[in-house]
Amino acid sequence: MQSNIHAKTMRRQLRDIAVALLYVVATTAVALLLRHYIGILRGAVLYLVPVMIAGYQFGVIPALVAAVAGVVLSGYVYFAQLYSFQVASPQEALNLVLFMVVAVFVSHLANKAKRHTEIARQREREMSDLYAFSRRLAAAPSATEIFIAIQSHLANLVQRKVVLLGAADTAGTDGVPERVRAEAARIEQDEGSERTIDDGNGNNWLIRRVSPKTPDFGSVAVDLGNVAGEAQADMRQRIDDALADAAATLERLDVARALTEAKMRSETELLREALIGSVSHELRTPLASILGAATILSNAPALARDAKLHALTVLVRDEAERLNNDIQNLLDATTISSQQVRPKLQWIEPVDIVNAAVEHRRRRLAGHPVTLDLDSNLPIVRADPTQVEQALVQILDNAAKYSTDGAPIRVAARPNGQTVVLSVHDCGAGLSGEEKRQVGGRFFRGPRHAATTSGSGLGLWIANAFISANGGKVEVESDGIDRGTTVSIHLPMPPENMRGEAAPLETVIDD
Amino acid sequence: MTDIPSCVLVVDDEVQIRRFLRTGFELDGFTVREAETGAEALRSATLKPSDLVILDLGLPDMDGADVLERLRAWSTVPLIVLSVRANEAEKVRLLELGADDYVVKPFGMAELLARAHTALRRQLRAARREPVVKFGPLAIDFAARAVFISEQRVTLTPKEYRLLQILAQHPGNVVTHQHLLREVWGNEHIDDTHYLRIFVRKLRRKIEADPTQPRILLTELGVGYRLVMADPPAAAAPAAPQAAAAPAAPAASVADGSR
Repeated sequence: MQSNIHAKTMRRQLRDIAVALLYVVATTAVALLLRHYIGILRGAVLYLVPVMIAGYQFGVIPALVAAVAGVVLSGYVYFAQLYSFQVASPQEALNLVLFMVVAVFVSHLANKAKRHTEIARQREREMSDLYAFSRRLAAAPSATEIFIAIQSHLANLVQRKVVLLGAADTAGTDGVPERVRAEAARIEQDEGSERTIDDGNGNNWLIRRVSPKTPDFGSVAVDLGNVAGEAQADMRQRIDDALADAAATLERLDVARALTEAKMRSETELLREALIGSVSHELRTPLASILGAATILSNAPALARDAKLHALTVLVRDEAERLNNDIQNLLDATTISSQQVRPKLQWIEPVDIVNAAVEHRRRRLAGHPVTLDLDSNLPIVRADPTQVEQALVQILDNAAKYSTDGAPIRVAARPNGQTVVLSVHDCGAGLSGEEKRQVGGRFFRGPRHAATTSGSGLGLWIANAFISANGGKVEVESDGIDRGTTVSIHLPMPPENMRGEAAPLETVIDD
Repeated sequence: MTDIPSCVLVVDDEVQIRRFLRTGFELDGFTVREAETGAEALRSATLKPSDLVILDLGLPDMDGADVLERLRAWSTVPLIVLSVRANEAEKVRLLELGADDYVVKPFGMAELLARAHTALRRQLRAARREPVVKFGPLAIDFAARAVFISEQRVTLTPKEYRLLQILAQHPGNVVTHQHLLREVWGNEHIDDTHYLRIFVRKLRRKIEADPTQPRILLTELGVGYRLVMADPPAAAAPAAPQAAAAPAAPAASVADGSR
């Protein structure tokens, strides 16, 4: 193969030399004619023409041959005895040689200039190709479009067969040798990202992945023909450049796809929120009628006389209230899980929160003697009143739910170091060590109560989320099963000068 | 109250809500008129004034707040807003627009009736211009600027008195934080809720038997305060069915524990 290419170069060189000699012969013919008809005796300069043309066209070697031939023939035509190869004086001979050296040198420069122009033109063409390719890539709406663009661009670049294999199967894979296919399959199996093989017919094939980073985009096989050495390296470089651009575009499309998916996900999220919003409205409106009607019935003198009927109306009322609380919990849980808990911070009186929560659950707590132990000198705290109250309501619900009727519940508001602690203590079911670890998790329900007590397992989770959002924390303590539970809300105290008892503030705001 | 039955205008687009409200109010001795839309409500209020308006916020033709604003342009009729939104900012806005009170759906009829009677009494008092107002054991003599607890004179600072006075001007009704701060400390202190907290605490120490269990000066969480007209049932009272508040013995602010 190597000798093959060498022989081809040799043949071309010989042809160039022959042509160069022909130029010299033609010049001699012209010189003879000029001499015969016009009488020009010193026309050696005429031989510059064939030397320079040969140099410009074919390079240095044909130019040199033309120069030597020119010296000999001009000597024959102009110098010494006419039409002989003898040179009369060494001075003239030297002139002639000098003259030819200049000719060769000038022709060499001309040839070089010509090559530069050609290379520049070639580069310009390649650049504009690459630019067109980039634009085509940028506008490509899909991977398929990109693969087609890669194929046509590479085919244009190397002027040989180009096929894309694997993920990027394109048309025209028929003529691909079996050996190339097998190699492409191997490359896709993650064994190196690039190699060159001989297809057995004297042609080199470059096989590489479209993207060196991932086999996902398939591979490309390029018939490099019989070029070798520097030319092949140059070609590979250009193929690499084109593929790097294409791979980047494919990756960008991947990113775009991820973005599209993210957009769809956020739309799902919006849909979910809208659904829950409308569900809460759609459920609450009839619930308002049910609860309203039930409260009228439970207060109606006509029904109050019949204990059984009265109990039924109370049941309707209480269950409607419970349903309403469940809907509220569901809404709260949605708000929390979409991370939309934004506390509206206000200065609040801790005692007010406790009173509001207990009042809120007055009916639920009716079966339990409730003791309130509230410190009247607590500092005011900065928190969202509704959220803290809602958290305390959840804790009160649990206290009522997991202790037997008649068991006392103690609610306290006390200072503790740099926090204000609102705590609910019950004498109910308590918690085992394992339950204590799990309690507060979303949907956690103690297995001991799953069958006997209804609930969603959201209560303490909601309380925790609301209090955390307000900069506090919820703590659960229990001495063990059936030994009661204490759940406490810890809220950070404000800075010293903002506390209720601080003298400086009072002097500012009172007169 | 009076022997002539009070007339209530119920504005709600939900027929079931109107039906139970009609029953509830009629059982309590009211006569009831209904309106389905905001436009109808405004027309009805203009043609035949009622003693009380119950206004739902989710009306099909216009925002309930718009109805309230237009009505307040010419009428001082007691008005209670029904809202499904448990949103404190919304409640504050409605109270500032001139609603006497609000009730969040779903609600118990007893709660609404208690609020209704309070709102009606506010109107009555305003007409009589009584010099002394009583809230359970608390008596305020506006003329003498004197405050008494169980006949005992209580000394208040000027700011404490001003705060109590403003609350007493809206007996039984919620007065928003913003309103109180504006009236007592001025516009520039409208966001200084901690002033209010501290002064309410000081006031409670002077007028409440147990400042941690207030019976007179009650907190509406996140919204404001109200002075209650009579002794509310104790917080720990059993949930026995309460007879619908009879006009002779008005029960105030019976919360039903529902939002």
